[in-house]
Amino acid sequence: MRMQLLHLYWNEFRKRQKKTSLITFAIAWGALSLLLLMSFGRGLSNAGSVSFKGLGSTMIMVSRGQTSKPYQGLPSARRIHIHMEDLELLKRQIPGIAMISPEANNSYNISYRGKESNRSVNGVYPCFAQMRSQVPEAGGRFINNLDQKNARRVAFIGWNAAKELFGKTNPVGKEIRIERTPFTVVGVMKKKQQSSTYQGPDAEIVYIPFSTFCQIDSQRFLDRIHIRPADPRDALFMENQVRRVLGRKYRFADDDPNAVNFWNTIRDYETGAKIFKGIEIFLSIIGALTLLIGAVGVTNLMYAVVKERTREIGIKMALGARRRHIVMQFFLETFAIFFKGTLWGTLIAFNIVSLVNLIPVGYEDFGIKAYLLRPIFSFDILIVFLVVLCVLVFVSGIFPALRASRQNPIEALRYE
Amino acid sequence: MIEFRNISKVYKMGEVEFVALKGIFITVQKGEFISIMGPSGSGKSTLMNIIGCLDTPSEGSYYLEGKNVSGLSFDQLSTIRNRKVGFVFQNFNLLPYATAFENIELPMLFNGKKGAERKRRVDELLEMVGLQPWAKHRPTEMSGGQQQRVAIARALAMDPPIILADEPTGNLDSKSGHEIMEIFSQLWKGGRTILMVTHDPAIAAFSRSTIRLLDGAVQENGAAH
Repeated sequence: MRMQLLHLYWNEFRKRQKKTSLITFAIAWGALSLLLLMSFGRGLSNAGSVSFKGLGSTMIMVSRGQTSKPYQGLPSARRIHIHMEDLELLKRQIPGIAMISPEANNSYNISYRGKESNRSVNGVYPCFAQMRSQVPEAGGRFINNLDQKNARRVAFIGWNAAKELFGKTNPVGKEIRIERTPFTVVGVMKKKQQSSTYQGPDAEIVYIPFSTFCQIDSQRFLDRIHIRPADPRDALFMENQVRRVLGRKYRFADDDPNAVNFWNTIRDYETGAKIFKGIEIFLSIIGALTLLIGAVGVTNLMYAVVKERTREIGIKMALGARRRHIVMQFFLETFAIFFKGTLWGTLIAFNIVSLVNLIPVGYEDFGIKAYLLRPIFSFDILIVFLVVLCVLVFVSGIFPALRASRQNPIEALRYE
Repeated sequence: MIEFRNISKVYKMGEVEFVALKGIFITVQKGEFISIMGPSGSGKSTLMNIIGCLDTPSEGSYYLEGKNVSGLSFDQLSTIRNRKVGFVFQNFNLLPYATAFENIELPMLFNGKKGAERKRRVDELLEMVGLQPWAKHRPTEMSGGQQQRVAIARALAMDPPIILADEPTGNLDSKSGHEIMEIFSQLWKGGRTILMVTHDPAIAAFSRSTIRLLDGAVQENGAAH
């Protein structure tokens, strides 16, 4: 297309711009809706993913169960407990275990300077913290290998437990008593979002080395084993492997779903991510439909414009305009309306997203605010948006433009 | 230059067929100045439209400068309209939002002429029709005579050998009409072929010969003035 023609089209468009302002607004509105819904959908999805990871995103939790079918002459409804030595067994027999930690817990009286409360005390390995997304507050640490090796009396406490026992005092280095045995607090858990729990949120729990737990508690069984596969994609495979290995030891069927219980957060996470992705896509479709209404308006307007300018089209044809000159003019005009509208819509959407992100939402705020007030305006959203837009521009522009170019020049010249 | 061999034009309006031209033979030599006369509905405009490649005949062959143009595509005909023919209409047909300059420039835009060349040509044409001070004015700010002069300048932009005028003075007072006809005479003297539809014998008197049409057929051809 020649520059001078573009110049002509631009001039004609500019002179008629007032007539297109309302429809430009409709496009701006549609673009704004689409971008906002996509951004807020992404924010929602992201917040969902963060809170899913609160419990731990790549781990399999194994806990005791009860057989639900007879096996090799043994009756059903036998209780299956898991023991400390199963940890070694699993490690030995299943390749691809990146981390493994036992967990045993009991409720104990905890006290600090006369303040007392009953809390769950859990004995775990140092790698537990990584699997469960537990991060110490600055100045503290989680239980380490030496603590475990030497069965030190150290404790890592959840933030709510810390608040209740210590108030505003920094607990690190202080001595608490668990059933009158002194323990040194080595760290306080940093606040995290956690959407699922099994014995109350991690915030309430006191963690001590597993070896130390065995000294103060007489329980023979483990409550849970936490396993992280080296490759998260092996989640289901590893679940079956664990069931098989334990099934051989405790003699229950490979396909008995209740003999031992699994909590596969990898699978949960994938399901959750799919739900949120679904919501995100749903919102985007609503936005796209809003924009589509604007696009239908543009098509309508362009048909009216073609009709209104029929005579002018005839004049241009008489002066030697080719079909493509006419097509291009109306198509570019559609494009210009879209361009102007979406430019405004995008700028406004971007500013709204930026402004909403300025609203303070505390890290500890796991409520609705965390889901709704953290929209994300990302590059891939823009790409999707532009693809939708291009399709709409083409579809809404091409038909009026073709109609314009297919007119009979004589009838067009006679048009009043 | 222009040769019609058995040209017919039939318009179909639903079930009804309307024969606008029936089997016309015409030959126009280069440098002629011809009036086309006849009552309303006699096929004058259809004849002009076919000559100007705005319309295509239903039957017959049309040779323009020795070349058969009957079967050409829309875009090929556009090129002919752009380079070979200049149209002047009764109602001027100027673009309302464009200035005189921009209107005259238009045919050159479709042909991709460079900016400097366009400006030189438009200035030349404005001078020729005596409208230089009006270059930046829009048609609504001009009189009918001035508008028609802009239209003539526009028709001449690509320097076409043929000028087709469809009642060029029909919307003008006699003084302006006379001025316009003076310009046509000048153009004819400059070697252009001019075909003009008119009702007015006084206007037809400017031409050198007349083709009379009646009910889509040539009634009289070549009556010299």
